[in-house]
Amino acid sequence: MNYFAGIDVGSTAIKVALVDEQGTLAGVHVTASGSLFHKNSTEALNTLLAKLGLQRAEVRYLIATGYGRKLFKEADDSISEITANAAGAFETGKAYGGVRTIINIGGQDSKAIRIDPTGNVENFAMNDKCAAGTGRFLDVAARNLELDLEELGDYHFRGDKAPLNINSTCTVFAESEIIGLLANGHGKSEIIAGIHYSIASRTVRLAKRVGVEDRVYFDGGPALNKGLVAAIQDELGRELLVPEYPQTTTAFGAAILARNDWLEENAG
Amino acid sequence: MENEIHQVIPIQPAPYSRSRQAGEAQTVLDHIVDDFQENPAAMQYFYDLFRGVYCHGDEIPHSGKLVGTTCIQAPEELIYAFGATPVRLCNGSYHYDQRGADFMPAKSCSLVKATLGMLSSENVIPKIGKPDLVVNPSTCDQKKKSSAMIEGMGYSVYDLEFPNVKESEASRVYWRRSVREFAEQLRKLTGQRLTRAKLKAAMAMTGRAQAAFRTLHNFRRQTPSLILGKDAFLVTNAYFFDDIERWTAAVEKLNAELAERQAAGFRAVQSKAPRVVFTGSPPIFPNLKLPLLIEEAGGVVVADETCSANRMLYDMTAVDEWLVGDMVDSLADKYLKPCTCPIFTRNDDRKRRLLDLVDQFQADGVIYQAFSGCQVYEMEYRSVAEEFNKAGIPLLYIETDYSPDDQGQLSTRIEAFLESLKNRKKRHA
Repeated sequence: MNYFAGIDVGSTAIKVALVDEQGTLAGVHVTASGSLFHKNSTEALNTLLAKLGLQRAEVRYLIATGYGRKLFKEADDSISEITANAAGAFETGKAYGGVRTIINIGGQDSKAIRIDPTGNVENFAMNDKCAAGTGRFLDVAARNLELDLEELGDYHFRGDKAPLNINSTCTVFAESEIIGLLANGHGKSEIIAGIHYSIASRTVRLAKRVGVEDRVYFDGGPALNKGLVAAIQDELGRELLVPEYPQTTTAFGAAILARNDWLEENAG
Repeated sequence: MENEIHQVIPIQPAPYSRSRQAGEAQTVLDHIVDDFQENPAAMQYFYDLFRGVYCHGDEIPHSGKLVGTTCIQAPEELIYAFGATPVRLCNGSYHYDQRGADFMPAKSCSLVKATLGMLSSENVIPKIGKPDLVVNPSTCDQKKKSSAMIEGMGYSVYDLEFPNVKESEASRVYWRRSVREFAEQLRKLTGQRLTRAKLKAAMAMTGRAQAAFRTLHNFRRQTPSLILGKDAFLVTNAYFFDDIERWTAAVEKLNAELAERQAAGFRAVQSKAPRVVFTGSPPIFPNLKLPLLIEEAGGVVVADETCSANRMLYDMTAVDEWLVGDMVDSLADKYLKPCTCPIFTRNDDRKRRLLDLVDQFQADGVIYQAFSGCQVYEMEYRSVAEEFNKAGIPLLYIETDYSPDDQGQLSTRIEAFLESLKNRKKRHA
């Protein structure tokens, strides 16, 4: 059988996706990026292959994407995560009546992408150089509150007090603001809801910059956080389409593009 | 015994080539030269020039009085006509940008900060010598406020008054008068009289430089490209400080090589490489960050609308009557009418010029650079974007500065933009 791989070497996690010749997802694997991008990428690919009982030779074409895409030399090609993300969301969204706007929050950046009805990128916007309003921000906040990252979502819905305002947009300044709020005796749940709303309003501003069209797809690791999803929906005034594995949409998109490229090259 | 302990040990200063500035220039030059294949042989003159001036601290000789300019709106023909040498002081070094941060609020334009940082430094690079006069046209606010600061550093500064409405007759009259007063200032500085013959000769000399630039500019219409934008930017940057006649000869040599390349069917890029028009805040060596990122990602900058390149050299003076007064007036008009600087209240000419460039150079899209804190370019983006949206031409807006730390994110954005241009082309084909 012929398989096609997409590997998304992100700042926080490495995501691998495999699709078959029909473009159907065969499997995904997620692992921490760590400091050895190249070694961990290779291992992630091998782990997924072993899990699915496949040989490396069955992977006919591999496209790397994400922050570390240039470091993974075994790839046949590399592509920016914006194009890959658009391809993945477009493909996933087909089953739900199509997607035109994508919001992605990653480990150190956040983006909004608008695609045309055929899946091509029409416009996109990315946060500026700092990590404000990204996954890293949630990471830092969870540490301040002595919680696991996974617990943040549930806390959003606890308690009955209104979300607090987190005014600082800078991750480092927000950290001291959170400590200040704790020192003033505020509860964790209203602080957490405040953090989610602060990220949500930044993200929605970004989305409005590219123009919100039709169904909005939300992916990236932080889309696993149900509280953040609720906050963004609230700020946006629309429902979001969140995939089952939000971390791997971009890797899946890269795999789809790998399949398309291979079919094009081997046509006839 | 005690005296021995308190003795001061003489510290040998490290040679210039070991400084941070030299390192910054070296990194960029190595990148420009080594990371691209088949650079034109005639570019060697420019590579050597920049290596000498920026990496080794070579001195740049000049004749007559030295007149530093902080903007292209200072008519250089006049400076030459008085036997003086103009040198453009606008600086592109991150090192000087950090140094200049002492003078300006944190969120100010890198270019202005770097120019102030350079002028305040004991060791000015490029080594042009101390200008006898610094001409500061009153264009954007940050440049305006620099005048007093530059004066405070011990320079003699002349404020060249520039209008901020382009189309009005009052502006035209005002600016003509301003240029005449500038000529008077130059007379005082040099002790020379302005004559018809000298001004005509100066206009002819810059005219030859402009003609060479236009030829180079026109070669860039070719698809696939004959030369990369990073080299073209280096050529126009050299015009800031190089001897004008030597510069013109070097550009003519480059043009001759491009003609050979054209005849031989040479291509500097792949045939599908997305063609980009560059506009906005000017790239100045060593800050060629964006042009290099674009071309590294497989695009090619085919033309620009910036004051460090096209806008500096494209427009020629049209003289009606060859009498000194009329010549000075024509010169003033040349510096006002075609100017597409965003400091003006309205700037429809800039939009028209950009659309023209996209059309004539068969560009696939436009990349718009705004230095953080360069408010006029930041504000003008909206109206430019509306125009391009209407015309259906893709436009990427990038706000950045001289610091190298955003290169990772910028490369992602630029690559994604180029990928979308490629897909668009495929669909239209």
